[in-house]
Amino acid sequence: MRLLCLALILSVAVTDVLGGRDFYDILGVPRSANVNQIKKAYRKLAKELHPDKNKDDPAAQDKFQDLGAAYEVLVDAEKRKQYDRYGEEGLKDIGRGGGDPFASFFGDFGFFGGDDRPRETPKGSDVVMDLWVTLEELYNGNFVEIVRKKPVYKQSSGTRKCNCRSEMVTRQIGPGRFQMLQQQVCDECPNLKLETEERTLEVEIEVGMRDGQEQLFTAEGEPHIDGDPGDLKLRIRTAPHPVFQRKGDDLFTNITISLDDALVGFETEITHLDGHKVKVSRDGITWPGARMRKPNEGMPNYENNNRKGTLYVTFDVKFPKSPFTEEQKQTIRSLLEPEHADASVYNGLGYH
Amino acid sequence: MTRIVSLSLAALFFGRVRGLDYVTCTSIVKLENQNYMVRLHSHDVKYGTGSRQQSITGTHEKDDHNSYWVIKGTKDKPCGRGDPIKCNDIIRIEHLATQKNLHSHHFSSPLSGHQEISAFGKNGDGDSGDHWSVICSNVYWERDNSVRLKHVDTEMWLSLSGQSFGRPISGQMEIIGGSYADSSSYWRAQEGVYVKPADIGMGSFVRDASSKIEHNEL
Repeated sequence: MRLLCLALILSVAVTDVLGGRDFYDILGVPRSANVNQIKKAYRKLAKELHPDKNKDDPAAQDKFQDLGAAYEVLVDAEKRKQYDRYGEEGLKDIGRGGGDPFASFFGDFGFFGGDDRPRETPKGSDVVMDLWVTLEELYNGNFVEIVRKKPVYKQSSGTRKCNCRSEMVTRQIGPGRFQMLQQQVCDECPNLKLETEERTLEVEIEVGMRDGQEQLFTAEGEPHIDGDPGDLKLRIRTAPHPVFQRKGDDLFTNITISLDDALVGFETEITHLDGHKVKVSRDGITWPGARMRKPNEGMPNYENNNRKGTLYVTFDVKFPKSPFTEEQKQTIRSLLEPEHADASVYNGLGYH
Repeated sequence: MTRIVSLSLAALFFGRVRGLDYVTCTSIVKLENQNYMVRLHSHDVKYGTGSRQQSITGTHEKDDHNSYWVIKGTKDKPCGRGDPIKCNDIIRIEHLATQKNLHSHHFSSPLSGHQEISAFGKNGDGDSGDHWSVICSNVYWERDNSVRLKHVDTEMWLSLSGQSFGRPISGQMEIIGGSYADSSSYWRAQEGVYVKPADIGMGSFVRDASSKIEHNEL
């Protein structure tokens, strides 16, 4: 009868634990999806399901919140592992400091013996490397193929001591006298040997990504003999560009114009990062160092690709190198006579 | 007929590049010595003698992330992401974890008294003592083949003395600059992350000198 009761409690617990929302379904990704796929799905759905875009749908707010909850769990390796094992209910334990969801039923009684806190699974080292990308790739998006050749532990013959830990044991040393000792306890595990595995991975350079952002490949880092492999993290680094400089979502560039263009006006164009032409023209006088703003011609915003920064164009003026004849000098003087001013000497670094 | 043959050879070559049989620029690799079967290794521990710079050793561990090195060009002649490294190219080899470059100079190594090999620089920037020439027999540094690494400044070869350190790095082997290339001067790329050649030209990671504005009016 007792056993039946216990089995009943267990079955109720399991169904309760594995209840809740299906986060994979909410994001529309398979259970095997990697972090990049999850991020991509989230960004796509966040745009579609945003309450501001769905004012007629009374459930829009709930859908958006579900999406946020699903994303928060599935991009976090620890939360995702807990969710995969125990469902949404199992996540409540993470907030309480982790642990087995069944611990609240059986932990106090020690039915399963020993320490009821799960041991932290050791993890191999993460491998963090820079991935150099061009501004063109960050503007348009791209996929980069890499080959990961990594060491992996494979089972071999024989056994070894593993998962060694210190445990307190109580020993009776006389009538009514007990001694607590710390002793090392190990499990028996199959022997392992290191082998090399190779696979091709695809790194997505997402539109608008910023310097220092990382693309994560779970379990593609270094192995651990008693635990899980570390992760491979590719850190986005922007290669210097011959034309543009990026600051946030804004782009900066310089155009060198001739002195006559600076005085009478000009029209030119800049070839942008996707090949489209940006027209730059002025009718008036252009001073050296003058700056022109071109709204929506900067980098696409990472969160919202439709929003673009500003392109700032700074003008440099190229002065003639060959000297003028006396006649030419007179002509220039007569043209610029109204603007003539005597040379003034002043403290250019600022005097207060 | 000749034209068809040359075209198919080109296709074969580019097929190999696509399949990535080469060590490429910005890839990270573990370099295994083919004589002693140890991997080139470094860590934030300084030599107690000689230059007192960060030490370089050879480790038998295959799964230590401190054995990853970044392959990159020189400051004067950078290479683009995924560019296959050619035989006789001059490269720099940066320790991934500490961002110091594989370096050599006229100091004596701690155990055998040969030329010292150290890790030098900051954030991947050092000097010409970080330059190594890739000596191999084909056109490119092939992943499956062993190469020798010759120090440009001193013309020494990246080798092992055969001697091992005691505590605290018991069993790790001394890396040296050898005056001649012997069986311990051969290295092979092993574990790593190999970046495939870019479909669009990466160019090199420096501004084209011709695009700079010259102010030489005076």
